[in-house]
Amino acid sequence: MRRAIGLWTGLVVVMLYLPVLCGVLASLGQSRYFRFPVQQWSTAWWERTLSSIEIGILIRTSLAIAACVTVAAVVIGFVGALAFARYDWRGRRLYQKLLLLPIFFPQPVLGLALLLWFNALGAPLSWWTAVVAHLVWIVPVVTLVIAIQVYGFDPALEEAAADMGASRLMVLREVTLPLLWPGIWSGALFAFLLSWGNFPLSLYTTGADSTVPEWLYAKMVAGYTPMVPTLGTLATLAAAGALLLGGGLLALVRRVREAG
Amino acid sequence: MAEPILRLAGVGKTFGQLRAVDRLVLDVEEGEFLTIVGPSGSGKTTLLRMLAGLETPSEGDIVLRGRRINDLPPEKRPTCLVFQSLALFPHRTVGQNIEFPLKVRGVAAAERRRRAHELMAMVRLPADYYGKNVQKCSGGERQRVALARAFAYDPEILFFDEPLSAIDYKLRKTLEKELKDIHKETGKTFIYITHSLEEAMVMSDRIGVMHQGRLVQVGTPEDIYQRPRNLFVAAFMGEVNQIPVRRNGNGTWEGLDLAGHFRADATAERGHLVIRPELMRFVSARDAADNVVEGLLYNEYSLGSRLQYQIRVGEKVLVVERSRGDAFAGDPSAPVLVGWDVRDQLFLED
Amino acid sequence: MRLGPGPRHAIPVGILLLLGFAAPLVAVTAYSLATPRSFDVFRSLTLANYRTILDPANTVWLSFAWSLLLAAATVVLLAAIAYPIAYGLARLFGRWAGLVGLLFVFPLFISENVRLYGWVLFFIKGGVLDGTLRTLLGIGGPDVLFTPGMILFGMVYVYLPFMLFPLTLGLAMVPRDLIDAARDMGASRLQIWREVELPLAMPGILIGFLLTFVLGAGAVAEAKVLGGQSVIVITHDIEIAFTYAQNWPLGSALAVLLTLLIGTLVLLVLWRLDLDRILGRR
Repeated sequence: MRRAIGLWTGLVVVMLYLPVLCGVLASLGQSRYFRFPVQQWSTAWWERTLSSIEIGILIRTSLAIAACVTVAAVVIGFVGALAFARYDWRGRRLYQKLLLLPIFFPQPVLGLALLLWFNALGAPLSWWTAVVAHLVWIVPVVTLVIAIQVYGFDPALEEAAADMGASRLMVLREVTLPLLWPGIWSGALFAFLLSWGNFPLSLYTTGADSTVPEWLYAKMVAGYTPMVPTLGTLATLAAAGALLLGGGLLALVRRVREAG
Repeated sequence: MAEPILRLAGVGKTFGQLRAVDRLVLDVEEGEFLTIVGPSGSGKTTLLRMLAGLETPSEGDIVLRGRRINDLPPEKRPTCLVFQSLALFPHRTVGQNIEFPLKVRGVAAAERRRRAHELMAMVRLPADYYGKNVQKCSGGERQRVALARAFAYDPEILFFDEPLSAIDYKLRKTLEKELKDIHKETGKTFIYITHSLEEAMVMSDRIGVMHQGRLVQVGTPEDIYQRPRNLFVAAFMGEVNQIPVRRNGNGTWEGLDLAGHFRADATAERGHLVIRPELMRFVSARDAADNVVEGLLYNEYSLGSRLQYQIRVGEKVLVVERSRGDAFAGDPSAPVLVGWDVRDQLFLED
Repeated sequence: MRLGPGPRHAIPVGILLLLGFAAPLVAVTAYSLATPRSFDVFRSLTLANYRTILDPANTVWLSFAWSLLLAAATVVLLAAIAYPIAYGLARLFGRWAGLVGLLFVFPLFISENVRLYGWVLFFIKGGVLDGTLRTLLGIGGPDVLFTPGMILFGMVYVYLPFMLFPLTLGLAMVPRDLIDAARDMGASRLQIWREVELPLAMPGILIGFLLTFVLGAGAVAEAKVLGGQSVIVITHDIEIAFTYAQNWPLGSALAVLLTLLIGTLVLLVLWRLDLDRILGRR
């Protein structure tokens, strides 16, 4: 049974990445329309994509949104995770469940609802409103990721530090943050990557600005060019790079600490 | 002698480089209460898991009533393990837990219920606990549920993996005695593991002491207590005084970490004298006991009904225990003499 | 009034959810009560939009039915696909579990459009499958693109992690000792699964079912990218009302109905769960 489960898992993983591979193949052909097997390999579409000013702007917008979302989500999520798992208070159970609601909600509908709300407020739509939209579902995710770390955290350590005369800020800097940083770091990675790849929330809330997934979608529906799979692959590689870098850093710091 | 119910013939288990259990040889008699004692990491839990079928031995044979059962999975073995965690099903009631092995076997509901009540009476659980949520039970009650459930399986041998370790001292003492009673009433074979020799002493017919994957001594509680085979067993019994010695030309032994000459009934060249603290006493003169040393009293503790003294002799500290009626009465600042007789000491060859 | 540390730390999240989640839902509800095809929210109060939807002549119920049907089918298929993998992650893979888990998380960071479009490139005429079959066997690939079956395939594909991780969490909640104990008392694999594993992993299983059902019921990208226009799902209808039709009140009314449906389900299930136990394993 062990072998059967291993085999099945392998098969599903292959299926999971098969379409990504198809995108890579489509980005490396020379012709305007994708034909398989590829007749003439070429990196022309990569060169065009990388030198396109329009795509540069898209990437910058996506990065700006992801960066703002990451900072805000980690701050709010860290504090929220303490309320979720660290402190025992009346209403905590309710809070835990309310926090999950945005995750258990279809994102396209949430995006439309936010569109209405921004409209009712008279707020002009731009990449800033998209940051808010992303936060609504990314903050709960980040809170959960950090909360899992907080569960393993012994509050007595904070109390001991306070008992030895450390101020609130010192306790936070010397005890709480160093012990929770793996969770915080993972939370930041999640926030960045989820925002980077998000489409349904961006679609309705960026206004005139456009993110990478939005542009891809627009071109898929009308006006396919091999720049679609190229940019898609590029976005995937960027995400993989961020994950490897972030994960690698996490592992490195952990190893250095354990050795030291 | 009757055929043993269980025979271990060179049973061993290696995890990578580590020999967790090192080629054990042991016969277990039908109906006996055998306890395997050892510190954590001595391999006793691995041994028990092999006997239950939850681990496969790397070498050797496990033989049950003459039949090799190495490859028999746990569900096919007529044995049942009471886990350290007790492994009670948290989503089931007391009754449902006890009935689990019967349900698995397809016993009808009415019969299951009747049997569960019988077993609850046996383990001294009130009948109205039948419908109680196991998670609402106290530690001792959960203990009894686990025991009843194991009996419901009607195994030929019951294994216990330190099930009492999480229970407070007083209740543990009661449960130990009850378990011994139940063993007598049922006549089943019990194999129990624990790190507490005290627990083993109370309950067992025989004790096996395990150290670094080996059985260093197997014997009755009396044997183990009176005649430990080596220093590990002697020290495992509790606090003892150990004095390494070497034979002199004149038939006495010379202390190696303690100045002095000692008498002993032995023929070896080197060894250890082992003396229990309660067998040492304060003496007034050098010839008032077979062996006497001089030291300084530097600490005194109360052990309740007894008092413990620490005596510094050169670099070494000896421990003496006396009852309250026999407390140290001399001048605590002056040197004191501590003595014991040859018949109260053990000589263990190196 | 002084707040304790717990509620105080809950404030930032609370404000975000209030302004970013509760308020938009209120806005949608308000819009759903406005005069059809108008933008005078908060100024008109009418049930006309709901009447339009419930009108038997309106076929919007068909979109609802498709969405719920597809979501239910997604849940069933995913349960079967993900359970063995979750079992592997929780029990068998040991030190490889982290890496395997990561392989399943990573696709979440790629926009679902990109991944779904990859499937289009795979299945399309002249695509990877068609091209491979033509070259090797001389026959064309099957014509599966732009069918309801393909939508289901896309949903199963996209929502796999949302089933897999709750299931893994659930299975990890079943103590190893309980499985061993059940075996030791003679239970067969099936009996262990039914009597021990399933009931104890139920919180995780419920979360997985709920999450994939809810996300599936609101899914739209799969139908648009892989399904062509073969099926209109409810979220697509809502989108149409907001964009081409420029009938925000009608779209809002549809969104309110979908939210009510999903909300009831979520609250029913979520309220029974003890999240501390599921996440913290204390």
